[in-house]
Amino acid sequence: METKFGRIKVLYPKQRLIDKIKGHVEALNAGLKEAIKPGRITIEYPRERRELPDNFRGFLLFDVDACISCFQCAFVCPANAINMRGAPNGRYYPCIDYTKCIFCHFCADTCPRGALHRTKIHDVAFSDMDEMLATTEELLKPPEMIREDKYLVKYEIKDGDIVLVKEETVVELAERPKFEIRPAKVSACAHPENCIACTLCVMTCPSNAISTKVENGRRVLIIDPKLCTGCGLCVKECPTCALALIER
Amino acid sequence: MSEACYLKWDVELPERPIKGVKYFGNLKEFVIDSGICSHCTTCANICPVRGITAGDKPIDFPNWEELCVDCGACIRVCPRWNYVPLNGMGEFKEMVAAKSRRFTGQDGGMVTEIIASALEMGVIDRAIFVGRDDEWKPTIVHVKNIEQLEVERVRGTKYSFADVIVELRDAVFHTEKGVGVIGTPCMVSGVRKLQKTVRRYHDRVKVVIGLFCTENFYHHQLYSFLEEKGVDVKKIAKTDITKGKFIATMESGDTISIPVKEFEPIVPSGCKVCQDFSGVESDVSVGSVGSPDGFSSVIVRTDVAKDIMDFIRKNDYAELGEVKQTVIQKLVDFKIKIHPYPPKKKE
Repeated sequence: METKFGRIKVLYPKQRLIDKIKGHVEALNAGLKEAIKPGRITIEYPRERRELPDNFRGFLLFDVDACISCFQCAFVCPANAINMRGAPNGRYYPCIDYTKCIFCHFCADTCPRGALHRTKIHDVAFSDMDEMLATTEELLKPPEMIREDKYLVKYEIKDGDIVLVKEETVVELAERPKFEIRPAKVSACAHPENCIACTLCVMTCPSNAISTKVENGRRVLIIDPKLCTGCGLCVKECPTCALALIER
Repeated sequence: MSEACYLKWDVELPERPIKGVKYFGNLKEFVIDSGICSHCTTCANICPVRGITAGDKPIDFPNWEELCVDCGACIRVCPRWNYVPLNGMGEFKEMVAAKSRRFTGQDGGMVTEIIASALEMGVIDRAIFVGRDDEWKPTIVHVKNIEQLEVERVRGTKYSFADVIVELRDAVFHTEKGVGVIGTPCMVSGVRKLQKTVRRYHDRVKVVIGLFCTENFYHHQLYSFLEEKGVDVKKIAKTDITKGKFIATMESGDTISIPVKEFEPIVPSGCKVCQDFSGVESDVSVGSVGSPDGFSSVIVRTDVAKDIMDFIRKNDYAELGEVKQTVIQKLVDFKIKIHPYPPKKKE
């Protein structure tokens, strides 16, 4: 090879015959060992599936009965992947565009009713871009996938070395997670001097947390923090911006 | 939980003269149907369900029996509810005639100048102006910078009701510094009552300019009236009211004058009980009466307006002159005389 320092020649390493034989014997020995008792740490996907943590952020599932159409998921989505579409019943439900989704799960975290929940499904193949737009109906059930896995594997540390533990089970991936993080927010009147007593908040509240009564010619409004889910619908509806979501 | 937030609060409800009828029904009975509604559109602004409609027709709420949420907000902000007519010259700090060096207007262009200066000072970041189309139909313009004021159509009087206060709702929502509003005396009273009721408006509406006003018209009535008199509204270049005559200068240079008395049949009934000529509750009142030709009379009433006038003086944005206070006083008294309240019964 010509360089500015002159010609550089790369030579083969000099090897003695004894070293060559030694090397071959070691390789055969290692191969024999692996054949008798395998020590690999790679996963034979798709026949094996790795155990995932409980809060793994995979594809999302939607629970239509829990949804209150508060739009919080669509507002919080940093990738603008969530589109609220009108349903025949007059409500709005989310659709997720998986071409945009970055799997941050802000939507699942922000949902006041837990209507969007995480699954451990992450390996879904789509044939084209249009298919990646998951409509509300498609979000109700887990995405279609062919499962070939028969083993569940996980990594463990044993004697200072990493080993693969194999178990012959097929886990349910779309199971509802055990831990769910709910926003610890509650609606409250931040500016009572702005309130015009229109009671739109009372009418809007999907969990009947706001009650009202007339007392001595005054309209009294009460928010029950136990019932309030912090969905923020009343805050959005308030025409004079009297309400606000605050930390519990 | 933060300190300033409440889980229980209350709001005083207004008196309901007709028991068992929703508040809008009461407003309809005592203000709209009794003919004292000034069409200031403050109720349409506050209505939480946006049911109250204004525009080029009397205030209404279609299907109010069903859709009204009975909050009473419209009654709380209506300047004609429990109406006590305001009149006179009002309190003021100074009175000057002025002519803007930057803008040409119907007279001195001082409304435009005051808003432009307020925008420049950073007192407000937006103002609501009334523009017009070819048929002199008013349209609302949200002015956010001085360049927008150079459009001729936002300047000058339109002589018709415009939904300025309705638009104030969005302006107040979007503003960061404050909003400027220009309106007739009834609109000024509406804004002041709104500010007393809702703190948000109190904090965010910074400059309220009152215009000298004797009467305002429904656009469709004014349009057909002028057509009848042979005035082609589309070709009007300039309008003015001087010495009891409405003078329209056409694009061709001809002038057509109509005595103001002939307008009597189309004067809305709400204007006939109004005695406020100068907009006594405004920050600053502007009109052509009492100042030389090409000048506007400016009545400065509050500290905000005083600051703006000082800013205009400091930067020499306007040429100043003398106001004949007696001329304004004459019209102030004249309006009280022709618009008695309670109205005289026709025999």
